[in-house]
Amino acid sequence: MSIVLDVRNLKVYYELGNGVVKAVDNVSFQLYKGEVLGIAGESGSGKSTLGQAIAGLIRPPGRIVGGQILFKGKNLLELSESEWRKIRGKEISVIFQDPNSYLNPVYTVGFQVAEAVEAHNGGSPKHYIHKAIELLKMVRIADAPRRAVNYPFQLSGGMKQRVLTSIAIANKPELIIADEPTSALDVTVQAEVVELLLELKKELGSSMIFITHDLPLLLEIADRIMVMYAGKIVELGSSHHIRNNPLHPYTRGLLESVRYERKAKLKSIPGSIPSLISPPPGCRFAPRCPFAYEKCRKIEPPLKQVDGRLVACHLFNEGGNDG
Amino acid sequence: MSLGKFIAKRAFQAFVTLIGALLVVFLIMRILPGDPARLIAGPEASWEDIENIRKMLGLDKPLYIQFIEYVKCVFKGDFGKSIKYGTPVINEILARLPYTVLLAVAAEAIAVALALPLGVYSALKPNSTLSRFISAISLFGASLPIFWLALIFIYIFSAKLKWLPSFGAGSWKHLILPSFTLALLLMGNLTRITRSSVMEAASMNHVTTAVAKGLDNGKVLRRHVLRVSMIPIVTIMGLQIGSLLGGAVITETVFAWPGIGSLLIDSIFYRDYPLAQGIILFIVLAFVIVNLAVDFIYGLIDPRVRSRTWS
Ligand SMILES: Nc1ncnc2c1ncn2[C@@H]1O[C@H](COP(=O)(O)OP(=O)(O)O)[C@@H](O)[C@H]1O
Ligand code: SF4
Ligand SMILES: [Mg+2]
Repeated sequence: MSIVLDVRNLKVYYELGNGVVKAVDNVSFQLYKGEVLGIAGESGSGKSTLGQAIAGLIRPPGRIVGGQILFKGKNLLELSESEWRKIRGKEISVIFQDPNSYLNPVYTVGFQVAEAVEAHNGGSPKHYIHKAIELLKMVRIADAPRRAVNYPFQLSGGMKQRVLTSIAIANKPELIIADEPTSALDVTVQAEVVELLLELKKELGSSMIFITHDLPLLLEIADRIMVMYAGKIVELGSSHHIRNNPLHPYTRGLLESVRYERKAKLKSIPGSIPSLISPPPGCRFAPRCPFAYEKCRKIEPPLKQVDGRLVACHLFNEGGNDG
Repeated sequence: MSLGKFIAKRAFQAFVTLIGALLVVFLIMRILPGDPARLIAGPEASWEDIENIRKMLGLDKPLYIQFIEYVKCVFKGDFGKSIKYGTPVINEILARLPYTVLLAVAAEAIAVALALPLGVYSALKPNSTLSRFISAISLFGASLPIFWLALIFIYIFSAKLKWLPSFGAGSWKHLILPSFTLALLLMGNLTRITRSSVMEAASMNHVTTAVAKGLDNGKVLRRHVLRVSMIPIVTIMGLQIGSLLGGAVITETVFAWPGIGSLLIDSIFYRDYPLAQGIILFIVLAFVIVNLAVDFIYGLIDPRVRSRTWS
C-alpha cells in the first residue's frame, strides 16, 4: 500500500511566558492510502496539536520546532504560505470538534460551504450556491435548499457538524483529519455522524485520521490505532492487535477504565497528564504506572517493534540495547 | 417581530423617554439659581419693572401651569419663544443645527478613517513597533484635555503657520481645526476598541475553519474577522455621534463655532428657559435616534440580533 503521509520526528511546541509546552514531542508515523488511522489519548496528550500541524494550522504561540511532514513525498514544512493555501481544504481537510464555534455566526451555512468551493476555484461564493446545496445533500441534510439559507444558530448541533463535514469534503481531499468530530454531540446522533464520515471517506477514496479520546470507538472503526500520552506515541498497531492484546500499561488502562464505566474518568489510572513544560524524566507515564520500576524513572523507553506493533515501554524491552 | 412592529415599539419608547426628559429638564432649569426677568431688566431696573417682565414671560404663574403651557408649545412645534432672542426656539435650533451636524459628521468621519486601519493593524501585528506606538498615541489622545489640544492647534496652524482660521465658520477651512481636534479625541477610544474587538474576533474558532478551507488572508480578514468584530465598534461610534450631536461644547466655544453646544451654554447663562429646554430636548432626541440607528445596524451585522428584534 502506498504511503500518503509520512510524519518524521515532529516536534510542535507552544512557547508561553512560563515555559515551553512540548505538546507533540518527536512523533513519527505513516498513514497509508485509504486507511483510517485512529489517534487516542486523554485530553491534553497533543492529539489536536498533531492534527493541526498536519493541516498547516499551527498559530503562535504554537511553533513547529522540528521534523518533517511528508505528504505524497513532499515536505509540507517547506511550503510557502501560498503553497499551503492550495493544500488546505483541497488536499487536506479538517473536521473540528465543536460545531457551534467553528461556524461563523453571521453568514448562512450555504455561503460558508460555497466559500470552501470558491477558495479553490475562484469567483465568488454566490457562484457556488448550487454546489453548496449538493454538498449539503451529500452529508444528508434534509431539505438542503432551505437549510442553505439558514444561519448556524438556526440549526441543531448535529446538523452543524454535518455542515462542517460538507465544508471539509467540498474539494474531495485526499486526507481528512477528524478531530473529535462527535464529542460535542448528543449520544443519539454520534453514531450517525461517525457512519456518515466513514461512508464519505470511502466514497471519496480518501485516507482519514480520526482523533478521539474514545478508544473503544476506534477499535470498531479504525484500521490502525496510535495511542498518545503527554506528547508521545506510546503504542501504535492494528486495531486487531490493540483489541486482543494491548501491551502498553496506558493502553490497557484506557481500555479497562472504559470497560468498567464508559463515561467515568480513567478509573484504573489514577492521577493526570504531567506538565508538558517540564515532563518527568524517563517514561512520562511512570508517575501513574502501576508497573513502574527504577529504570522507568531514569531512561525514556524508545518505541520498539514488539509482537506486531510498536510500543514504548521498558516492560517489553528488558535486556534490550539500552539496558 | 416584524420591522414595522419593531419601529412602532421603539417610537413609543422614544416618546416616553422624551416626556420624561421634558419634565426633568423643566424642573432643573427652575432649580438653578438666577432669574431671567432680573437679567433682562438689567441692574438699574425697579422691582415693578422686573415684576412686569416676569408677567410678560409667564413666570408669575404656578409651576404646573408653566409646565402645561410649555408642553403645549412643544406639541405646537415651536418649543416656545426664546427669552433672549424673542424668536421661536425651534428657529434658533434649526439655524445652529447644520453646523453641529457638519462638525459631528466631519469629526467622526476623520476619527473612523484613522482609527479603523490603525486599530486593525495593531490587532493583527500586536508586537510590532508601530503597534506599540499606536497604543501609546491613542492612550495619549484619549486622555488629553480638549481645550489644551485646541489651543495647541490654534497656536501652530493659525498663529504660527497662518494656514487656517482660528475661529468662526463659513468656509471649509474653518471646519478643519475643530473637526481634527475632536477627531483626535475620539480616535483614542475608537482605536483601542477596534484593536481589542478585532483581536478577539481573530482568535475565534470559526476563523480557523476559514483558514482550513484554503481561503486567502484578505477574505478571512474581511468576512470572518472584521465583520464579526463590528458590533462593539458600531456601539462606540453611535455613542460618539450621539454626544457630538449634543454639541461639542468646549470645542465649539474655543473655536467660536456656531453650533448647538455654544448656543446651549449661552442660553443657560442667560437663564433662557425655553431655549435651554428646547436644546436639551433636542439632544435627548438625537440620542434616541442614534440608538435606534445603532440597533438597526446591529441587526444588519448579526442575524441573531435580527431574529431577536426585527426579522
Ligand atoms: N493554543 C495553545 N496555546 C498554548 N497551549 C496549547 C494550545 N493548544 C494546546 N496547548 C497545550 O498543548 C497540549 C496538548 O493539547 P492538545 O493538542 O489540544 O491535546 P488533545 O487534543 O490531545 O487534548 C496541552 O497541554 C495544551 O494545554
Ligand atoms: S516504561 Fe515503565 S513506567 Fe513507562 S509504561 Fe512501561 S512500565 Fe510503566
Ligand atoms: Mg483535542
